[in-house]
Parts: sequence; C-alpha cells; structure tokens
Amino acid sequence: MSQETGSTKSLIPEPLEFNTQLWKRRSIRDFLARNFVGAGGIAVIGSIILIFVFLFAVVFPLFKGAALYPVSSYSLPDAAVGDSLLYSTEEQAEVSMRLDSSGVVHFFYTDTGTLVQKFDLLAGLNAKISSWKHVDTERNILALGLDTGQILIFRHSYTLRYADDRRTIIPRISYPYGEEPIDLGIGRQAVDHFAIGDNEDGLTIFAYTREGPRLVDYAKVFSFLDEDEIVLELASQVSLPYVDRPMNALLSPERQWLYLLNDEGVISLYDIRSAETPVHIEDVQPLDAGSRPTAFEFLIGGISVLLADDQGDVHQLFLVRDEDGNQHLTEIRRFSGATAKISGLVAEQLRKGFLVTDDAGQVSVFHTTASRHLLTEKIADHALLHLSIAPRSDKIVAEDSTGQLHVWKLDNEHPEASFSSIWGKVWYESYPEPDYVWQSSSASSDFEPKFSLTPLTFGTFKAAFYAMLLAMPLAIFGAIFTAYFMAPKMRGIVKPTIEIMEALPTVILGFLAGLWLAPFVESHLPGIFVCLLVIPAGMFVASLAWWILPDRIKLLVPEGWQAALLIPVVILCTWMALAFSPWMENVFFGGNMRIWITDTLGIGYDQRNSIIIGIAMGFAVIPTIFSIAEDAVFSVPKHLTSGSLALGATPWQSLVHVVLPSASPGIFSATMIGLGRAVGETMIVLMATGNTPVMDFSIFEGMRTLSANVAVELPESEVNSTHFRILFLAALVLFVFTFFFNTIAEIVRQRLREKYSTL
Amino acid sequence: MTMAAPQISQDVLLNRASLELEKEQTCFECRDFGLYYGNNQALRGIDMVIPERRVTAFIGPSGCGKSTLLRCMNRMNDLIDTVRLEGEMLLHGKDINSKSINVTELRRQVGMVFQKPNPFPKTVYENVAYGLRLQGVNKKRVLDEHVEWALKGAALWDEVKDRLQDNALGLSGGQQQRLVIARAIAIEPQVILLDEPASALDPISTLKIEELIIQLKQDYTVVIVTHNMQQAARVSDYTAFLYLGELIEFGATDQLFTNPAQKQTEDYITGRYG
Repeated sequence: MSQETGSTKSLIPEPLEFNTQLWKRRSIRDFLARNFVGAGGIAVIGSIILIFVFLFAVVFPLFKGAALYPVSSYSLPDAAVGDSLLYSTEEQAEVSMRLDSSGVVHFFYTDTGTLVQKFDLLAGLNAKISSWKHVDTERNILALGLDTGQILIFRHSYTLRYADDRRTIIPRISYPYGEEPIDLGIGRQAVDHFAIGDNEDGLTIFAYTREGPRLVDYAKVFSFLDEDEIVLELASQVSLPYVDRPMNALLSPERQWLYLLNDEGVISLYDIRSAETPVHIEDVQPLDAGSRPTAFEFLIGGISVLLADDQGDVHQLFLVRDEDGNQHLTEIRRFSGATAKISGLVAEQLRKGFLVTDDAGQVSVFHTTASRHLLTEKIADHALLHLSIAPRSDKIVAEDSTGQLHVWKLDNEHPEASFSSIWGKVWYESYPEPDYVWQSSSASSDFEPKFSLTPLTFGTFKAAFYAMLLAMPLAIFGAIFTAYFMAPKMRGIVKPTIEIMEALPTVILGFLAGLWLAPFVESHLPGIFVCLLVIPAGMFVASLAWWILPDRIKLLVPEGWQAALLIPVVILCTWMALAFSPWMENVFFGGNMRIWITDTLGIGYDQRNSIIIGIAMGFAVIPTIFSIAEDAVFSVPKHLTSGSLALGATPWQSLVHVVLPSASPGIFSATMIGLGRAVGETMIVLMATGNTPVMDFSIFEGMRTLSANVAVELPESEVNSTHFRILFLAALVLFVFTFFFNTIAEIVRQRLREKYSTL
Repeated sequence: MTMAAPQISQDVLLNRASLELEKEQTCFECRDFGLYYGNNQALRGIDMVIPERRVTAFIGPSGCGKSTLLRCMNRMNDLIDTVRLEGEMLLHGKDINSKSINVTELRRQVGMVFQKPNPFPKTVYENVAYGLRLQGVNKKRVLDEHVEWALKGAALWDEVKDRLQDNALGLSGGQQQRLVIARAIAIEPQVILLDEPASALDPISTLKIEELIIQLKQDYTVVIVTHNMQQAARVSDYTAFLYLGELIEFGATDQLFTNPAQKQTEDYITGRYG
C-alpha cells in the first residue's frame, strides 16, 4: 500500500519482551501434557497385556501334566498275618485300609503306617476268602467271595470325633446286607470269581465256582420301620448259558450288562436286563496277539470297562449302539505309556481317569476323555502289587512286592483338558460316534464332562456370519450411497442417526429380539421371507417408475434426496408382506409354516434362531461398519473423482473404478471391525439364541457362542475347577479372535492412511 | 533435461502477430453466459469466442470466475447442486447444456486437467488406459498403441516407458501432471481445458508443461486458466481477462499485453492489483 506522509509517530511498535515466566509455564504444560498422554497410552497397552496375562495364567494350569511327590515309605504296618488283598483310602486320605487274606481289615494312618484299628471280618465264620472285590468305591462297599459258597458284603466308613479338642478319625465296619454272608444256594464250594451289581431295586451277583457260572438276582425289600434295614429276596438263580473260563468279571451297576474276561483277553458280553434269561451277545478280543490281560476294571460310572495287558497297554471299551439299535462292545481308546507289564489298575472316583501300576515299580496316570497320558513315575524299585487312590485323587498308597508301602502325593488338577478334548471330536461314553459336544455339568457325580469348545466357536462364527449377512450389504451399500451420492444435507441427518444406533444398549436389542422379534418372526414366517424378495423388487420397481416420470416432477425433488422417496416404498412392501403372511401360510403351508418346516422339510425349528440373531445382531453391527466404511468412501480425495468424471466417466464408473478401489481397504477394515464386534457380542446372543450348543448351520436353529457361554456358566462354576479354567480358555479364545480381527482392520487402515498421504 | 529458456519457435511468434479472431474457426462460443452459485452471481454476460486449435488463456485476479468459466466448458459444475446457468455455451454451434447433449460424451470431447496432479492410484499404464477402457476399448494392442501415443504426446514416454507398470503415485509432480495430460489426450478429445496446470509445480516442470501446451495446439484447442501472466504471455495465442465475473477484454495475446483496450486490463497486467 502507498505510504502516507504527515504522520510523525513511528509505525514501528515497541520491541516484544521475552516473557520468561510464560515460557516456563508453557513448557511445564507441554511436559505434563506429553507425559500424561504417554502414560495413558502405555496404561492402555499395559492393561490389555495384563488382561491377556491374567487369562493366560488362569488357563495355563489346564495343560500342566500331573506330578507325584513322595510323602513316606515304610514296611507293612502290623506285621502281616496274611498277604494283602486290597487297599482303600478314605476321603481325607488320612486313614487307609488294608484287607489281608485272613479276612482281617487293618486301618492305619496313611502317612505313618501306625495302626488305628483292626477288624476280623471272618470272626465266627468258618470260612476262608476265595475272592475279593470293590463293589462301590464311592460308598466304600467291598465284597468277599468265601469258600462256603457265600458272599460277604461290607462297608468301611469313618466318623470324626473331637475328643479333647483333638481330631480323631474312627473307622467302622458295617454290613449293608447283614452280618451274615449272602448264601448263593450253591452249597459249600469256593466262589472263585464274582461280580456284583447293586442299585436301589436290587442286587445281582455273578458267581463262578467249580460247578460253573451262576447269576443270582435279589430284589431289595426296605423295612417300613428302618429305611437302612434292607432284606434281600431271591428273585432268580440261573446258570449262564455259555461261559468261557473267566478270570475276571464285571457287572454294571445298573445290573444290565455282564462282562466276563478270560485269560486270553476275550471279553464275553451278556445282556442280563432280564436276570432269569441272560443272553450272550458277543465276544470281543481287544488285545494284540500275544498279550495277556492283567487287570479289568470299570471306569467311574460303570459304563466303560478298562482292560490292561502285560504289554503295558490299557484298552477302553464301552457299548455303542449301531444303526439297528444293537449294542456292541467297542474299543474306543488305547493308552500306552506304562513300559512294563501292568500289575494293577485303579479308576479314579470322581473323574474319568485311572492309574496303573506295573512290574517296574512305576505308576502311570491317564485320563480317558482327554485321551491323556499325564505321568509315569517310578515310585519303587520292585513290582507294585497293590494301589489305592484317595477319593479326591490327591494321594496314592502302593504296596510293592517286598511288602514296602509307598505313599505319594498326587497333583493332578486338570486331567480332563487336552487339545483333543477341547477342539477335537471325542467319543464320549454312550455316544454312537465321536462328536463335538459342550456339556459342562450334570446332576450326577460320575458324569463325563464334555468340554469341546468347537461347537461354541462354531456358534460364535455362525452368529457372526448371519449378522454379517444382514449387516454387511446394508451397511456397506448404505455407506457408499451416503458418502458418494447423497445430498450433503441428507447425509448430515443420516450419518449421525445411524451412528447413534451404536449407543443403543445391546441388552435392549437382546430382549427385544428374544421376547418380541422371535415370536413375531415365528408367527409371520412367510411374510419375513417374502419381505426379502418384495423389498428389493419394490425398490427396483420404484426406481424404474421414477426413471420414467416426466422431468418436471423429477425436478420437484432436489438432487440427492431421491433416496428418501424409497422409505414409504420399503414401509409399504413390508406391511404388504406381513399382511399377506397369514393368507400365504394358509394357502401354501397348511396354516402353519413352522410346522410345515419341521414336518415337511424335516428341519428343526427353534424359536430363537439364526434369523433373529441375524436381524438383532446385524442391527447392532450396522453402525460400526457403516460409520467406518462411510468415512473411507468419503475421504477418497474429490480430485480423483473429478479426474475420472472429466475423462467422460459416469458417476457409477467413477465409483467402481476409482473410488471403491481406493476405499476398499477402509471398507475391508470396517467389515473386520464389525466382525470383531459380532464375534465378541454377548447380550444379544445370550438373550436371543436359546443357547443350545449345537453344531448345525441351519438358519432355523440357534447356537451358543463363546461369549454367551462364559456369561452363562462362569457365575456357576467352581473357582479354579477345570470347568472354570476352560471358561477362561473360552474367554481367551474370544479375546484372540477379536484381537485378530481388530488388528487386521488396524493394519489395513494404517496402510490405507499411508497410501492416501501421497494422494 | 536442459535448463534452457522456453524455446518458442519464431514461427509461432510470427504467427501470433498476424492472428485475427475473425479468421479463426470457432470452437466454443459463449453467448450472454452467466452462472449463479445459489443467489451469488459468479459469472455475468460473457460473450466470447474460443478459436479452434489455438491456446486461449483466462487471466484475472483470484475469485474472478476464470476457473468457474473453464469448468462450465465441460460441465464439471454439474456436480455442484446450487449452480444455475443462464445464456448459452456453444461447442461447434451446439449448446452443451441442452438436454440432448450427453454429458459424458461432452467430457470425452472436452478433457480437463486440474491444478493439482490427480493420477489415480493405479499403474502408469492403467492411468492412461482408464479413459479408453471407459469407452469400452479392451484390446491389449489398441490400448498399448494409444497409451504409447498419448504418453509421447504428453512428452512423458521417454521417462516412463520402463516403468509403465509402476504405481503412478511414484512419479514426480511434473511427471504426474504430464501423465494426467496424457490421460486426457489418450481419449482423443477436441479440447483440453487446463486449470492452472503448473501452479503446483517447480520451474523446470512448469517449463516442460508449457512446452507441451505449445505442442498440443497443433492438434487440440487448448484453454488454460492461469494466475501467471508471464505464462499466459508465453503460451497463449488469445487471452481473456476476467474481473468480478465479467469478461473485461478478450483478444490476441500480444495485443492484450502490449496494448490493452481497457484500463482495468492495463492495471492488472502492470500489477496495480491482483
């Protein structure tokens, strides 16, 4: 500008003074802000790592093996009169019991061997023991076969006394079926082998004497006065039709099946559901040629039988129903691990695990469901003859061939978990074939827990799939339209509205879906399906009609607002489809489409199914995908679009050839974040799926997701139990999934940002 | 590349002296053309003829409407909702804003290059082939020919012939701008509109673009918007001076710069304002 003359005042202002204090304040603020933000960022990363570490720390013990620690070792307490026959240990493992061949029961302190008490079972009986067996390890019931053709059933139990403030355990012997041995009515001959099945209704005894095998069945009669007083009434007594010379016998607790093992390892299976007419079903030889059987026991529950051989293998077999409904004894698993000849086999009392002892003085620990060999440890220099495990599986007592007793502490918290039992197909007891099953608990204590995360993972992805099926096209196409075609004013309304949907609590979506949508969809099924056809068709027809309309009407609607005209079209189509729904149901589906689906199509129908999840969770995921995808499309630089248009491209061509390729990583990243959200979503799937852990991709079936499973079961599971830790594993898996999807999304987004920075 | 001053041939300079608008063939013609952004009138009463196969420059201070006018010539203003036009803009005698004109076909004939180089995030080859593919050309041989021809036409072939499959974003700014020009001429337009094509470039790149513009006029009608009056003087045959949305003066460049008819023009070109 031109300089004015005539002004005497200098135009140069006073020189600025450097304000030291201001500078100091500023640099302090700068320092604080920088460190505060930095600390915040590190805290976020740190807490994510801590969550991961915590989950991992809870999960880790699952995969730890077992361990044995020596407690004590001493020679047989109470200078033995006869050979040991069997051992048993009480719940706390403080007192153990040894039965010797003279019929004397010795109770002794497990850790020291000090004798507590002694009972002579055969006192007053003119008999000798010819065979012996555990009948019910849970209730501590044992039985002796006598050389008088009798069976003596007794029970050892323990009571606690606090005399003189000292805790003492007092062992007792009782006879649930009377002190007098049960006479099998076969005269005075030795019972060489026997097996007993005992339930509420009766008692079935298999006995093998030199005169042959017999099956004796008793009914239980309870006394009116005293419920504990039980009288056995003979129901039947038959000879078995065919018996190879048995070396061991097992009778299922429910008195349905009899397994006879001969010395070549052949198991003969008898159906004794009718005790008067036992039926021989089949002979099974699970052993390899040249092997001899050494031990034969039930696994807890009495469904699986375990057969050990002299090669160090244990075979697990149970009855499997074939297509015709016939039961066959099938070898399910084989456990190898004990290197020497197996001398004894003991099943755990609360889990589907077992221990074997061998001639090399080793103890091996196995778990059947998990198909796991947890441990083999040499605990003695000589062959082990007898083994007892405490009911809580925390202590073992073993006797070796020199009469030395070895007491070891067993640390085996989570034998049920293995990679194969969690992710693989497992052949569970009584199942016709291996399967993926999640069934973590049941009322009975001898239940086999089924911890397969596969159906839950499947359910998680199934739910996410159906949600994405609905959400992806709607959100992505919506985002493209909003960012690229919509009038800015309309975009200013639409975008925040959809983004606000994200703030809707999912619990509300969940109960709306479960309590309102699910029954609504069920009663309007044809209408819902017709909607899928009618709405797109209606939109197409409406667009076509719009295109034909004369320009002067078209011009009434401002550019970019035409889409709003589709809203009434969609509402009308939906209303029509739903209004015609009952009519269609009557005409095409015999009045009820749901019944038609189950009866005519033969597809199962859950009220809370994948359609509901697709709609409800799709609704929850749409805002996430929409928002990010819209930003991606919108942030494609305008000069690229202009460049394309200036080359004679139509807006559609510019979109497809220039905008979408540039925005596609952003759209992909939006999809990944949406998927991560769908995978991690809890409340909606919890409330609207029915939570059935089935592996069925059908749209009419529900599912159970990892997140819902954790939410449902964690509050009820015992802290630090296997179930608890497996739920944490489910959480960890979920965490890894969402972490994976979000990381992919973030990596793609970073690359996108780099790419745009050069445009 | 040499740092030499623009080699504008004596031919061109001699030709310029004898330019007379009346003798030229008409490419574009504006008749009382005006434009509103909403209620703001951005252009008013413009009457002008843009001659065929000549370089016409639009000059004027910022906001005078020169870019707006340029964008009207291939209807890029259609993208802005609030724009309203009046008067006529004729290309070879046809009103380009009439309903019978297909806007994409118009844009194919009237190519445009923007201020900021805007290659697509594709390869060099695909950038040039883009417009051809839109026309449905898919034969590799035809594409190859056109790409090479267009890149040669944009004086870029020698620099990129070995990196045709590299991403175009890896080229320098000047190369990107020439690539964009190659992209525009690949579809054989009649007119090329240049909206301050060199303002974002360094002097050497600017020089190359200017050389290219002078070459281009042998085959194309070129309309260039520029801030830079020296540039206008160097490359254009005709110059239009716009001020506040009105056409103040239009004439042969030499005449306009040496002997402007209007006071405002003189003020502007001598640097009194702008």
